[in-house]
Amino acid sequence: MRIPSPLLRGRKEADVDSAMTPMIDVVFLLLIFFVWTSSFVIVEHILPSQLSKQVGADPTQPVDPPPKQDFENIVIKIDWDGNRPVWTINEQPVASLADIRQRLAVIVEIQSEAPVILHPVPGVPLGHVIEAYDVAKLVGFAKISFAVNPQTETG
Amino acid sequence: MTPMIDVVFLLIIFFLVSSHLSRQESSVELPLPVAASGDEDTDQTTPRVTINLRSDGTLLIGGRRIEPQQLTEALNEVRQQEGDELEVRIRASRQAPYSAVEPILLACTDAKVWNVTFAVYREEQ
Repeated sequence: MRIPSPLLRGRKEADVDSAMTPMIDVVFLLLIFFVWTSSFVIVEHILPSQLSKQVGADPTQPVDPPPKQDFENIVIKIDWDGNRPVWTINEQPVASLADIRQRLAVIVEIQSEAPVILHPVPGVPLGHVIEAYDVAKLVGFAKISFAVNPQTETG
Repeated sequence: MTPMIDVVFLLIIFFLVSSHLSRQESSVELPLPVAASGDEDTDQTTPRVTINLRSDGTLLIGGRRIEPQQLTEALNEVRQQEGDELEVRIRASRQAPYSAVEPILLACTDAKVWNVTFAVYREEQ
């Protein structure tokens, strides 16, 4: 029977320690790699929007009796001329997004509760729709909804 | 001792890699619209369906392609499983036409899902 001498045991433990070091190196390298690459993930933010119940139903026959409204709707129509969006607020043409912002800033002082309705034509890229939504939200309107084009509704 | 540490490290690596892959699966690379008023996404408890909309108008749910006509049915199914507070997250390309977004909004209202959010970037990427 071999009795392990205390000297030999000490050497064995040293062997185990030295064999583990490269593995720990590799694991730490992997950890660092994953932590580092995760910093390249672009953070997404969200724009919450509450859909209203009238949308999707037949607009001529509201499901609920419409609540008494003190304020007129602010309809922002977004047309598309092929290259750039063309905006109108309640039938009045607006030159630019900054201009929309100015006008909405004036309106929000008077009636911040007024519902804003975005009405883009089908061809408008979503980026421009969200821009208008963003402007209305930044100015301080709380109720912003999307209009749906009639042809989509029937089809 | 050493084999156990081996196994533990293997498990750690496995979970790191798999979590990385699962995150990638749910986030299709899309040029999202830009909005300065975007909120931080802190709510992790609300059940959520993510709808990806590519620039060419194709819809993806969970990596699977879906036709706009099937959307109402699919959302109805999920709402029945997850409950009424279901949130629909629209990750749409900024180049996608509004006509491709409309059917999603309509399907949500038809499926009685009122909580809809748009995924955006805070600034131009």
